[in-house]
Amino acid sequence: MALRELSSLEKFLGLKKPNKYSTQGDRKVPVLQSNSGPGLVGLVTIATQLTQEAKRPDLLGKSAEERAVVQQWLEYRVARLECCVKEDIKTILKDLNTYLEDKVYLAGNHITIADPLMYYGLHPVIMDLAVMDKEKYLNVTRWFDHMQHYPGVRHHLPPVVVLRNRVYTSGHH
Amino acid sequence: MGFGDLKSPAGLKVLNDFLADKSYIEGYVPSQADVAVFDALSGAPSADLCHALRWYNHIKSYQKEKGSLPGVKKALGQYGPAGVADTTSGGGNAGGDDEDDDIDLFGSDEEEESEETKRIKEERLAAYNAKKSKKPTLIAKSSILLDVKPWDDETDMVEMEKHVRTIQMDGLVWGQSKLVPVGYGIKKLQIGCVVEDDKVGTDQLEELITAFEDYVQSVDIAAFNKI
Repeated sequence: MALRELSSLEKFLGLKKPNKYSTQGDRKVPVLQSNSGPGLVGLVTIATQLTQEAKRPDLLGKSAEERAVVQQWLEYRVARLECCVKEDIKTILKDLNTYLEDKVYLAGNHITIADPLMYYGLHPVIMDLAVMDKEKYLNVTRWFDHMQHYPGVRHHLPPVVVLRNRVYTSGHH
Repeated sequence: MGFGDLKSPAGLKVLNDFLADKSYIEGYVPSQADVAVFDALSGAPSADLCHALRWYNHIKSYQKEKGSLPGVKKALGQYGPAGVADTTSGGGNAGGDDEDDDIDLFGSDEEEESEETKRIKEERLAAYNAKKSKKPTLIAKSSILLDVKPWDDETDMVEMEKHVRTIQMDGLVWGQSKLVPVGYGIKKLQIGCVVEDDKVGTDQLEELITAFEDYVQSVDIAAFNKI
């Protein structure tokens, strides 16, 4: 799963030469093989490295504050999404919904590496979400729909249909 | 289309509802559409219209690139949800152009244009009231893409398509179709249609199609877009 994500990320970043990856351990942590020395371990580390390689430092955040926020979301992705239980999903979605209420992208006013990575992580969750829940976490749905239409992000994942069902709008703005 | 009068709370509410599940006025990138609507607002929306406020702050950050955003600026009445009376077209094309001159947040000529803005405001108010009393009805339409699945690969897809197309309903217009392979030699029929929301429901359509039990195993909605 993580390996396909990383190759999608490479395409998103416009990296021409795909890298070699492998996994280690039960949790299938991705490893980036490099010619010099030990490989890079971990989704966040590799993603950051790829962004540097693609010479897109703006994707890591334009200011110190933005960079911190990007790192925070990358950590969130690995720490909470990878090993979460069904009950946690509701909390995660609720947190995300509140956070995204006044934001278009996760960090700042432009896309960063946190957005596609959170999108990949959340994709299986949102795929299984009922229409009612999609309405409930409207901001997450909006951000998710935005991400899957952003040029270069979606790649290997099937699009999730996002329909605004007028029946449920009475309780929301 | 259109949001109604964007200077009125009702218009802002329409904008807020519209933006609840969208990041931008049109499509998924900032464009001249966003610039047009942004310019029409007289200021930041209040905090209780959280989606409008979010969008407003986001577009404000694109201030410097305003001119280089993609798309063509259209009259304000062209944007927004279908089904809302277009109150700006009362002023005609002049109304559309005046949107730019009127409330130009990034310009410095506001003093000189206050006379003009007053006149335009009154003109638009009169047009809005006239429109309101006439109450034109706009038909809400949607474009639906249906996936019709056969029982197996022996099913005659041409016959199936013929049967599906015989379904006639008021407000339903069949569109293009194509066969998409799903694996093991089975193909599904992807057929599009345009329906009027009030007259045709998707459950009805699905029932009518699944009634052809010999050919159709199931029907799914692959895509549903409002026009």
